Amino acid sequence: MNPTFTSNPIELGSLIKLESDSPAGRWAGFSLSIGKVCRISWVLLVTWSGLSGSLGLAAELAEQETVDFSRQIQPLLARRCFACHGPDHAEAGLRFTDREAALAAAESGQVAILPGSSVASTLIDRLVSQDEGERMPPEGERLTDSEVEMFRRWIDQGAEWSKHWAFEPLSQPTPPTADNPLWNESPVDSFIYQSLAAAGLKPNPEADRRTLIRRAYYDLIGLPPSAEQVAAFLADEDPQAYEKLIDTLLESPHYGERWARHWLDLVRFAETNSFERDGAKPNAWKYRDYVIRSFNEDKPYPQFVREQLAGDELDLVTPDSRTATGFYRLGIWDDEPADPLQARYDELDDIVTTVGQAFLGLTIDCARCHDHKIDPIPQKDYYSLLAFLGDVTPYGTRGNQTANNQIDVSPEELRQRYADNEARRQSIGSQLHEIEQSGIAKMSAPDQRATEGNPRDREKVLREKLQQHLDPERWQAYTELQDRAAAIKGEFESLPPREVVLGLAVTDPTPDPTFILFRGNPHSPTDQVSPAFPTLFGEPGPVLTPRGPDSQSSGRRRVFADWVVSPDNRLSWRVIANRVWQFHFGRGLVRSPNNFGQLGTPPTHPELLDHLAHLLISFDGRLKPLHRLIMTSQTYRMASDSREDAIKIDAGNDRFWRFDPRRLSAEEVRDSVLASSGALDLRLFGPSVYPKLSREVLAGQSQPGSGWGNSSLEDQSRRSIYIHVKRSLLVPMLSAFDLPEPDRTCEARFMTLQPGQALALLNGEFIHEQARRLAERIGGPEQDDETLVRGAVRTVLAREPTDLEIGQARELLTALQLAHGLSRADAVDLFCLTVFNWNEFIFLD
Amino acid sequence: MWQAGAGFGAVALTSLLQSDGFFSGTAVAADSPLRSPLATKPPHFAPQAKSVIFLFMYGGPSHIDTFDYKPKMIGMEGKTVDVKTFGRGGHRSGGRIVEPRWMFNQHGQCGKWVSTLFPNVAKHVDDIAFIHSLTADSPIHGSAMLMMNSGKILSGSPALGSWLNYGLGSVNENLPGFVVMLDPTGGPISGAKNWSSGYMPATYQGTVFRSEGAPILDLAPPAGLSAGVQRRLIDSIQMMNQEHLATRPGQGDLLSRIASYELAYKMQASAPEAVDLSGEDAATLEMYGVNQPRTRDFGKRCLLARRLVERGVRFVQLYSGGAHNDDNWDAHGDLEKNHNYHAGNTDQPIAALLADLKRTGLLEETLVVWGGEFGRQPTAEYAMGTGRDHNAYGFTMWMAGGGIKGGVSFGTTDELGSAAVEHPIQVKNLHATILELMGLDPNRLAYFHGGLDQKLVGVEPVEPIRDIIA
Repeated sequence: MNPTFTSNPIELGSLIKLESDSPAGRWAGFSLSIGKVCRISWVLLVTWSGLSGSLGLAAELAEQETVDFSRQIQPLLARRCFACHGPDHAEAGLRFTDREAALAAAESGQVAILPGSSVASTLIDRLVSQDEGERMPPEGERLTDSEVEMFRRWIDQGAEWSKHWAFEPLSQPTPPTADNPLWNESPVDSFIYQSLAAAGLKPNPEADRRTLIRRAYYDLIGLPPSAEQVAAFLADEDPQAYEKLIDTLLESPHYGERWARHWLDLVRFAETNSFERDGAKPNAWKYRDYVIRSFNEDKPYPQFVREQLAGDELDLVTPDSRTATGFYRLGIWDDEPADPLQARYDELDDIVTTVGQAFLGLTIDCARCHDHKIDPIPQKDYYSLLAFLGDVTPYGTRGNQTANNQIDVSPEELRQRYADNEARRQSIGSQLHEIEQSGIAKMSAPDQRATEGNPRDREKVLREKLQQHLDPERWQAYTELQDRAAAIKGEFESLPPREVVLGLAVTDPTPDPTFILFRGNPHSPTDQVSPAFPTLFGEPGPVLTPRGPDSQSSGRRRVFADWVVSPDNRLSWRVIANRVWQFHFGRGLVRSPNNFGQLGTPPTHPELLDHLAHLLISFDGRLKPLHRLIMTSQTYRMASDSREDAIKIDAGNDRFWRFDPRRLSAEEVRDSVLASSGALDLRLFGPSVYPKLSREVLAGQSQPGSGWGNSSLEDQSRRSIYIHVKRSLLVPMLSAFDLPEPDRTCEARFMTLQPGQALALLNGEFIHEQARRLAERIGGPEQDDETLVRGAVRTVLAREPTDLEIGQARELLTALQLAHGLSRADAVDLFCLTVFNWNEFIFLD
Repeated sequence: MWQAGAGFGAVALTSLLQSDGFFSGTAVAADSPLRSPLATKPPHFAPQAKSVIFLFMYGGPSHIDTFDYKPKMIGMEGKTVDVKTFGRGGHRSGGRIVEPRWMFNQHGQCGKWVSTLFPNVAKHVDDIAFIHSLTADSPIHGSAMLMMNSGKILSGSPALGSWLNYGLGSVNENLPGFVVMLDPTGGPISGAKNWSSGYMPATYQGTVFRSEGAPILDLAPPAGLSAGVQRRLIDSIQMMNQEHLATRPGQGDLLSRIASYELAYKMQASAPEAVDLSGEDAATLEMYGVNQPRTRDFGKRCLLARRLVERGVRFVQLYSGGAHNDDNWDAHGDLEKNHNYHAGNTDQPIAALLADLKRTGLLEETLVVWGGEFGRQPTAEYAMGTGRDHNAYGFTMWMAGGGIKGGVSFGTTDELGSAAVEHPIQVKNLHATILELMGLDPNRLAYFHGGLDQKLVGVEPVEPIRDIIA
């Protein structure tokens, strides 16, 4: 037992005192909740219990609980020790990658870890040493007292070791039995209840119905329920009313719009290339629509993954599956690289990074230049995975930016008609050209020169002088050919439009060999590698069958895709199950959803995670049954109220004693404003739209307005997922609310609360316009104050206003007119604007 | 309190926050959502500078026509030489020399040679450290701009200003910590990518400040709405939010959002005050050239830069030049016309900024950085004319103020200025120097993202340019 940890609350208290002395201004300013980096550890639990002046239940429990190697020790080893004593380096002959190596004597003969005796383990001495030359780790902050204490207890308890949880096959956990029958009906609940009970926590009661319907609407369709929908739900006496609500929402076409957006973050969806010109990617929006449709159809996850990774290599290739290969074309692309080979490998690295993190939860990209410093991913694995992608051509070339990425998926018959037309056009064209050149050869030098330059000059010379240099027969033939060319052109123009999508239009059926690149340098290839799965899976290599002579691609991506979604894949299923949980609860069971490696955050509920992964497999990878299971659980239905007793034990809500309240996402804010004002245009799908951007925003571009179109007012009122994603010109209001930069895969959005958001909702043109529309919608200035307040609160928040709110609003309306001299119409508009700024509108309970 | 009709100002807010039973007396842990991400953070070691003013000469000024004196080129006009170059026009192995077009003279105690393009800046050479041996990974504007601003030629990484605010926080929360002021002709290539916070939260991204009208987007209420109206609206919103909070004790995010409205309100007063030059005396305006048509714009922005660092803004970036071609320093056609124009617009304001910072003592804690994304070639780009193509093999930047050793020159290029020869260094060394002077260890300042401790200077250890540090 360590004095600084358990028996000296006074010392803890004084440590904390230092922090509480900080001026209020330090913490009142901004808020930043970051799901992915928030690590509330035991340290904090103890801190909170110390605050109450008593030892607290958590500390007592901590003392008794066995230290969990995978959750408490391994992350520290990975983070703080592996850089020198990990898979890549073994300084002083010591590495902490497995138990045998860690217990072995170092070069000095000393033993870092002696199981059962922290006193005899030099590791502890080095961690606490006051000698700068001795202290470990030598760089960065020293380990905290409680971290050292954790090491002590772990060694004293026998220094048990386990392999990294995520690299082990899925376990088969049996849902425990909770001693509360209400929490025993769903496996979700029994796992959660057990974990709460272990910490002496009780779950919050169920949220009220009004909260539940709002929560469910935003969660599944990203839009608020209307007052009528809320009223109907409140009045529904069917005991299954809530379940019916979930089913209805899951069938809504807007479900796809909401959940596609999560996926688009992961695959770095954008519609331009970045770099100097930030040129448009034609038809990128069709990939976005494909994702929306896939969610709406509840497409099995394996099929969804296969289509994106190998939609051109499936048994049944469809226009949809080819559209899915747009996945490969979404990244940044340099049309004018300083080092073309480097740029090519950068482009491939973007794909490896996205595939590794989005599908496998692995940062394979860290092994591009050297073996992974932390995870057992040798550099060879990176290039072996790259070899699966050997047939993926570059996005384009400077001279031809579309051939590699624009696929004509029109019906065969139509494509044939276009091909015929093109063949005839070319044939006539070359005949015309030949005659023209025979005439040009007889022209004066300046005229000849003119025909070599600007096509317009050439046409002028030909029009005026060709006839005089041809004999009549040739001229006759020439004019006939011209007529035929015109007819072919007319025919072309009358053909039905082709269906063209963004994707892998050209692939290389016989890819060049892939080499390991020395320090990632494309100019220094070393050993050749073949496609292989990462070695940490410990699986046999891929079976690559030779493709037929007609094959357009190498067939490797299909093999890789099949492996990713095989039911045995230990990472893919956990990763997607975790994401579903994350988007329902605001954070994953694993808080680092793109990184299940040793630098990631271990799951708070590992058994629940594996159980959900199994369930998802049993649902054939369909997400909707999983949504239903999660959303009908008690865990999901809990109220979000904060409780002091629970905060003391679990301030970070690691164990889910409440439902975490959340701010709306950027899209939800904008879409909800539009829905409330009545302007929202709910049409699905189609080319992207351009909301009006102010002159000062466009002034940041080197060519103001370049690449930003004009959309009709209706189009500008469409849901945010349909807004054009231009990498160098993100819509400021969305950025203010944490729309991510789309250059890299984004695993979890930031949720900041900053003054820029307040300014956008107080002064932006958009919000003022929508406030005017809302005022109109609720009857305008002719209505009396109370009617207006009732109308606004009912429309925006789907409830009746309180008397206090009516009183306050009346006061505001009066003050604006009398004290500030505004017209009643303006005052009403501004009152409507304030409602859009209420916390109740921006936050979900 | 608000029922009594009092304004719901900052003081009221503070007491509100303190009187809230749930939070009073509790500690704010370092990783608590209640702590401002822009709260001041301790540096790694004692800083020599507190703020940076980065004068970005967009387009790439010619080093051999400005600060990198090449006497051996005199008399070589028109000669064909073998020299490897790489620019917009691709790789070349030789070309026609374009002699430096301006006379060079020695200045200051240090005797630094400076061309007649910068007669006023030349008076400050004893405060300046020149770096002549910089190299960049790309000679193409878009990627070279990103490299200078974020250390990478690929987009998606945070800008230098974001790193500084992430590392140090802001001492004035009523103003953004990272301010960008653009040229009136337009933004640079890649626009907002140049001041993006990349994978960091938007809190750290650059805010574009305008020198005319409302300085920040959406800062001012729409025309016709007075500050009083704005205050009344915020009061009303805060009352409702307070009611809402009363039934949700202990929810820190709600409190933070309430606070963010007060900050927005304070910013509405602070930002216009910061850009209001009416308090500056005539001599100061005269010194910056605010009254001359040529220097009016850049002069005004230089003066604003001083006012911003005075008020604690951590990183201010000014662009000389915008849009495309000759609207910036990108002298592909007529070198003389282009550089006479852009140097003429900026020389006096830059000199005034240095003088003014020195006069007020701010220079000691303000690092001024001058330069573009690359330099220019010694040879002509076309068969005719004086235009020079881009050159990332060797170019010049300079720094002055906070912690910089004045009157020194570091590194050299060859006799033609075509490539760095002595002490060739990379943009990351420049970044490391800036971080070091600001009290941050460039090899320690890290942000965990994508499974890696990302650093501005990359994963391999990088040395600052110690020779220019005082």
